[in-house]
Amino acid sequence: MSVGDRVRDRARSALERLVAASATERALISFASLVLAVVIGTVIVLVGGRMTTCETAAFYLGHPRPFGFPQLFRIGFCYDPVLVFDRLFIGALGDPLKRGWGPFTPFTGGPINPFRAGYDPLNAQMANTLKETTILVFTGLSVALAFRAGIFNIGTQGQMLVGGLATAVSVLWVSSLVSGLVGTLALIPLGLLVGALFGGLYGAVPGALKAYADANEVITTIMLNFVATGVILYLVRDVFKDPDSFANQTVPLPDYALFPSLVFPSTSNFSIAALAFAVVCVFALYYLLTRTAYGYDIRTSGIQPAAAEYGGVDAKRTIVTSMSLSGALAGLGGAVYVLMVLGNYQTGVPAYGFDGITVAILAGNNPLGVGFAAFLFGILKSGTLVVQFSTDVPPQLVGVLRGLIILFVAMPEFFRLIGRRVLPAEPDRPGGTAVATDGGREPDPAAHQDAAASGGEDR
Amino acid sequence: MSTPAVELREITKRFPGVVANDDVDLTVERGSVHALLGENGAGKTTLMNVLYGLYEPTSGTVVVDGEERSFDSPRDAIDAGVGMIHQHFMLVDPMTVTENITLGNEPRRRSGLARLTGLSIDRGRARDEVVELSERYGFDVDPDARIEDVSVGVQQRVEILKALYRGADVLILDEPTAVLTPQEVEDLFAVFDELTAQGKTIIFITHKLGEAMTAADEITVLRDGKNVGTVDADATSREELAELMVGREVLLDVERPPTDYGEEALAVDDLVVTDDRGVRAVDGLSLSVREGEIFGVAGVDGNGQSELVEAITGLESPDSGTVSLEGTDIADRSRRERIEAGMSYVPEDRQEQGLVMDFDLVENGLLGSQHQAPFTRNGRIDWGRARDHAESVIDEYDVRPPDPRVESEDLSGGNQQKFVVGRELERDPTLLVAAHPTRGVDVGSIEFIHERLLELRAQGVSILLVSSKLEEVQALSDRLGVIYEGSFVDTVDPDDVTEEVLGLLMAGERPDADSADVREADTPAADSGGGGE
Repeated sequence: MSVGDRVRDRARSALERLVAASATERALISFASLVLAVVIGTVIVLVGGRMTTCETAAFYLGHPRPFGFPQLFRIGFCYDPVLVFDRLFIGALGDPLKRGWGPFTPFTGGPINPFRAGYDPLNAQMANTLKETTILVFTGLSVALAFRAGIFNIGTQGQMLVGGLATAVSVLWVSSLVSGLVGTLALIPLGLLVGALFGGLYGAVPGALKAYADANEVITTIMLNFVATGVILYLVRDVFKDPDSFANQTVPLPDYALFPSLVFPSTSNFSIAALAFAVVCVFALYYLLTRTAYGYDIRTSGIQPAAAEYGGVDAKRTIVTSMSLSGALAGLGGAVYVLMVLGNYQTGVPAYGFDGITVAILAGNNPLGVGFAAFLFGILKSGTLVVQFSTDVPPQLVGVLRGLIILFVAMPEFFRLIGRRVLPAEPDRPGGTAVATDGGREPDPAAHQDAAASGGEDR
Repeated sequence: MSTPAVELREITKRFPGVVANDDVDLTVERGSVHALLGENGAGKTTLMNVLYGLYEPTSGTVVVDGEERSFDSPRDAIDAGVGMIHQHFMLVDPMTVTENITLGNEPRRRSGLARLTGLSIDRGRARDEVVELSERYGFDVDPDARIEDVSVGVQQRVEILKALYRGADVLILDEPTAVLTPQEVEDLFAVFDELTAQGKTIIFITHKLGEAMTAADEITVLRDGKNVGTVDADATSREELAELMVGREVLLDVERPPTDYGEEALAVDDLVVTDDRGVRAVDGLSLSVREGEIFGVAGVDGNGQSELVEAITGLESPDSGTVSLEGTDIADRSRRERIEAGMSYVPEDRQEQGLVMDFDLVENGLLGSQHQAPFTRNGRIDWGRARDHAESVIDEYDVRPPDPRVESEDLSGGNQQKFVVGRELERDPTLLVAAHPTRGVDVGSIEFIHERLLELRAQGVSILLVSSKLEEVQALSDRLGVIYEGSFVDTVDPDDVTEEVLGLLMAGERPDADSADVREADTPAADSGGGGE
């Protein structure tokens, strides 16, 4: 057997192993990937720090000096990788840990309490992280839902913009009718509803094009992103523009129409109520997919359209409804962004929609996973700013680290997706996988009997 | 006697918690065709994978050509002259026959600069070698055709040629007939004869008694991983083989008691269906099935059976004609409405349509009923009930492994089929459309499925049965329509018709007409058969 064959066989069995991994294993694999990304990121930070010039080194590497052994040499680096990752992760949460990371410091004595004295979890930095998380939950859910239905919705960004503008305009329009607490209770639900409605309608367009005109949704959704950006730029600049402002933005919404910040600092543009609503959406979508007949239809059409049709699922209707629902989730993201962060509508909304694609892939398109993936993403996004404030590390390098982490964590899921396509879906396949999954999910012995006896293919 | 081509001695193959092969001895004589017969999951494929170097045996020895061997991988087996053709072909669709056959062993250019690099393939020589090889064994294969353009039967021959090209003397074929039409099966067996005449040895895996008896010289039966006997194909009977396979006496003949038919349940009138290529696949066909009646459709595969069935079940919309269920025209109804009206359907393709491969059996048990009580109320699925349902189907139809949490892609083909049949038969249907209900299923389960079909018939269910197994439709049907090029040549009483007459009808000829005339002009005969009944 040649080396090439061996490599190929190994790659193939690794892929099979990955496809067959259980939920716990997948979580462990993701965590291990994160650690690996940090290790590689450390190397990059060190190399970057070596290639830069600075007056005083931020970090030294030397040999140990037991019993007063003299220091023979040590290497200085301009960037401290420990500090960078400390700021990126811990800083994003508002420094919950003691200096030296609490329990990791040996011989301190006393009860182990990792938290810093006087740590307030309701700090501004945490609020910033959760703000990013909230928006990403919506766009992530939007992409994940479409994925589950077998549709690649790249138009989440456009749907979010449309939903956001519709929210801003509609809330402005009716805000003069109510005010105070009543205004808050009436306008926020109204804004969310309008955002979802318009986002949903804008999602329904590529859905209908796919279902009835057989147009590839990847193309149409990308194009509709441009359409949305262009039309909205026109509308905000020429129709809904705030005459007192130079920027392309609408008149500010009244304060009572915005999400109240509640427990977090009011300057942080974050509301725990919006996060709670996002969490409700996570569970609602999970429930929809796993417990309802409609969710069953969506999942079936997503994995195996022919079987769905056989089972009485109306393929066209499912495409249109799932795209509408996906668009509605994106629209909710836009609405929350307007009602919580912006306070008006302005052009130049960050690419939360595209980040949603990564969040969804990271989460394996599982709604519950979207919650965690969005939180990781939120940490990375807000942590980037903290790193920039507290170190000399250039923002581009932080971007590289962020990209590395996302790439590493997303890769196993990405390969799982590929593996499902590449590995033939045959009854014979378990001949290989059933044997391979022993450590994983211990199937019934009879499963082995049958799979092993009937299957086994050359792969 | 010369040394046997292959000898397996006391092969045992254990997987964690299970013994797939238990102390199996097998001797295959040179130049013979040896059938390995057994039920789904008896350990046939595992044994052959051991011989082909895919699995290492737990104990026991493999002897090829009188020499003891230990194969680490299929490559070692190929080097020792053992080739295997899997049930699912390993061909590259967009590449040509020649490219596929020589893949991995391409002849290199022997001269010029190319020789120095050793990278250039001598396409001309590759083609010549393939042509020479296929002529030597009388294969009719176009070396320049693309794999995606040739039929399954030809693809199989390409696989055989690929093994021969690599120097195989012993060919192992895993369920080679599963994907073939009856005509292609006959051609394959002719290929077997040609190969053995030239000294090659063939081992083929099957669970079909008839094929083993027709094509093989010797038959070895495996049951639960053990060799339960090797018999001479000429000196055995179907009954003996079936008993060896199942371990008890099997009723091969179905007893179809007389029954009173009820009202007309399904009526198809002047149905026309155009397929994807724009061909009229179903051409003005009419039929009716009464309550408590099994109407069989016999014919060579590809004469419009699939399209007929899909038009009735609502997966394809007909161009014209009516389909009525219990007096209501349902031609415009959706698939879901038809399911809700009591139509059950065992589809032709269980892996594409009948099952969602990534779903477990609980979820698959729901397919088609996902919007119906008692499984779903107010749009909410009652998974407890779904689980009970899957368990009862698994239990009754002997699906192995008996675990509702196992994903359907982890089941063998026969067990997948049993689960689909079970789900559809237990739906309490008014009409059952069954396309090849026993395809890929072992003898013991075939018997059970046939019994269940007849029980449903006794309960007054109308059944439309499509099968490429002639003896099956003939034994089960009350009336038998013979389909040819999209319409019925004739509808006959299956108890009154001989296989010869059926064979002629399936070829589009009407034996009652002047036979000489018909043979010269079979197209008009088919056309006149359009009226059918």
